[in-house]
Amino acid sequence: MLSVVLFFLFFSLLLYVLLGGADFGAGIVELFTAPSKRNNTREVIYRVIGPIWEANHIWLIILLVILWTAFPGYFYIIVTYLHIPLALVLLGITIRGVAFVFRHYDAVIDQTQFWYNWLFRIGSLLTPIFLGITFGGLVGGRIIISEDYQNLDFYDVFLQPWLNPFSFLMGIFFASICAFLAASFLIGETNGENRKHFSKISAKFTIALVIIGGALFLYGYINNIKFIENFLHNPVSIASVGLSGLLLIPLWKFINNERRLASRFMASLQVFLILFAALYVHFPYLIYTEEKEISLLESTSSASSIENLAITLLIGGLVILPGLFHLMKSFNGIEVYENEK
Amino acid sequence: MENLDYARLQMAFTLGFHIIFACIGMVMPFFMVVAHHKWLKTRNPIYLKLTKAWMKGVAIFFVTGAVSGTALSFELGMLWPEFMKHAGPIFGMPFSLEGAAFFVEAIAFGFYLYGWNKLPEKFHWFTGIIIGVAGVASGILVVSANGWMNAPSGFDYVNGEFINIDPVQALLNPAWFTQALHMTLAAFVATSFGVAGIHAYQIYRGKNIELHTKAFKIAIIFGAIAAFFQPLSGDLSAKDVAERQPVKLAALEAHYVTAKGVPLYIGGIVDEEKRTVSHKIEIPKALSFLAFGDFDAEVKGLNDFPDDELPPVAIVHYAFQIMVGIGTLLMIAGLIFFISLKKKKWQKSKVYWLLFIAMAPLGFIAIEAGWIVTEVGRQPWIIHQIMRTEDAVTPMPGMKYSFFFYLFLYTILVITVTWLMHRQIKTLNKE
Repeated sequence: MLSVVLFFLFFSLLLYVLLGGADFGAGIVELFTAPSKRNNTREVIYRVIGPIWEANHIWLIILLVILWTAFPGYFYIIVTYLHIPLALVLLGITIRGVAFVFRHYDAVIDQTQFWYNWLFRIGSLLTPIFLGITFGGLVGGRIIISEDYQNLDFYDVFLQPWLNPFSFLMGIFFASICAFLAASFLIGETNGENRKHFSKISAKFTIALVIIGGALFLYGYINNIKFIENFLHNPVSIASVGLSGLLLIPLWKFINNERRLASRFMASLQVFLILFAALYVHFPYLIYTEEKEISLLESTSSASSIENLAITLLIGGLVILPGLFHLMKSFNGIEVYENEK
Repeated sequence: MENLDYARLQMAFTLGFHIIFACIGMVMPFFMVVAHHKWLKTRNPIYLKLTKAWMKGVAIFFVTGAVSGTALSFELGMLWPEFMKHAGPIFGMPFSLEGAAFFVEAIAFGFYLYGWNKLPEKFHWFTGIIIGVAGVASGILVVSANGWMNAPSGFDYVNGEFINIDPVQALLNPAWFTQALHMTLAAFVATSFGVAGIHAYQIYRGKNIELHTKAFKIAIIFGAIAAFFQPLSGDLSAKDVAERQPVKLAALEAHYVTAKGVPLYIGGIVDEEKRTVSHKIEIPKALSFLAFGDFDAEVKGLNDFPDDELPPVAIVHYAFQIMVGIGTLLMIAGLIFFISLKKKKWQKSKVYWLLFIAMAPLGFIAIEAGWIVTEVGRQPWIIHQIMRTEDAVTPMPGMKYSFFFYLFLYTILVITVTWLMHRQIKTLNKE
């Protein structure tokens, strides 16, 4: 039953990165679009992500519930030591979420749109950065686990685990993954001028992603960050990341040939490979503290809790996944594919 | 004030904020589908206009509820890590089911918002029903998790360890039903009177009377019926609390000295130092009867409990008075509505509309008061009789800043949403 729970944990993580990530990325793409074309981008984004945008973010809640139900000790470390970056993530989620809805459902269109738009764009950029920073804090090897809070500095315990260049690079890296996904997904939703525009943006973000990813690895390697070192010493992980890079070639072919569904699949596969590489080498040791690596499986809850959660997730999955698929099918994606035929 | 106090303030404030949006988000879809149904049946464009106006309102409330709910699920851990470490595996089930229900709601919402003129009419309408049903299911599940904190069950507590965990029993804890029933009815009462009050105000001002009268009627019926059942549900809750949390019951009524045939206090000023209540109205033997169904039953007083297990009495007592007082008022208002269906001329009177305008915010005040009763009344425990709130709080100092940060953020959100609603109505009247 633990394997079912683990499956859903990583499945939710993957879908949050892909769908939630593309959603954040849409805002980033809008942010980096020339002002003259922003309105156009905005309409495309509304049409494409509008119907599923709320659902995209529930994966995060599922992830959270799985963590605290099945891996409470793990959850404890995350929420205690990474309290501050998580609070910043929440600020971002709140601001961009309400800004997105306000800008499309405000009854009067006037200057306030200016504020909604900017809050949405900036929130879309900052939220994945803070998510990445949180993840960087988790695996950066700087967490100090101690009960002796009286004698420890606030900075050492609650700030420095995440307030460092490695975490920051991780944040930028995740934001560029989001933008890459969004740009690749949006190409398939548009025609003519818009297509050219999103293709250009997609190319820019792909280059940015490669550069930032390289910088992240280089920084980790030079500074002996274990998470990166382990990564570089594992052939499977290296191969996965390498393959992800090679897949850029078919991705661009698909985009040029207007194979929209295939290009989406390719972009998702690339991100999946990066995620897989990161998890494969480290699983189940997903928290790095100053002293040791902590296993996800070290503090699993009782067998009855795990079993119950697994059954709930299976039933929930049976209800939700067909509904979600139908929703996506009804409004975009596969519809485009059918036109192609 | 200490870190703990700020953490509690933040939890109370963010929960209090979320509850309002969650209630509106779960009840308003029902108004929306009734209006939608009338549009499909009568093809009167006013109903279509009303449906779409309500839909926009639901979208705004839903997203605010969703993001503040996301924040809350994090906050449970961020503010009370020690609590979640132990409680998470036990009461995870209502949360995982709630996640599923929320998902269904969001999917249905996607269909509903974007389905106009694209989906078959009946299916489109039906997705609106799913929004409402899934929303209510979410609410019930979350309240069940709260019920577990009041009536912890589904485990054995041996030497500080939680063993023999049974998540299903934790979900179906002894408090879940009474609490969920009371909360669901409260959500219907508050939202219904709130929405009806806003439309009553438009009628009072003589704006777009035809549309607002239709809106008023759809909205008020839900609340008037729910308000009628609410006292019965309250009675069930009181009996339940009397049995399981006698100290909370005593605090509700600021009842200090154990006795038989105890009177019910209405109002009164509590002196926590001297342990007395002055300026109250007494109804003889009523508390004994309400709590145990027997006029001469013994009700344990606060003095019989250890000092370090007492909740703040005055706050709980006042909040309880406010909740019950408003509940009674709204029940009467509901009755007045039903009578006005027969006596049509009442609806011509300005006083009639003024009454419903005045009722608009009351349901929400009662909800906040009710949560103060149940949450503050459980103190000093976070898990009743098992874990103290002070032992659960985050070790991170500086919660003061966190609290003021949320206070600032959510105050701006409240102002913005109110202003957005104002704009919706203004536009609706202009068209």
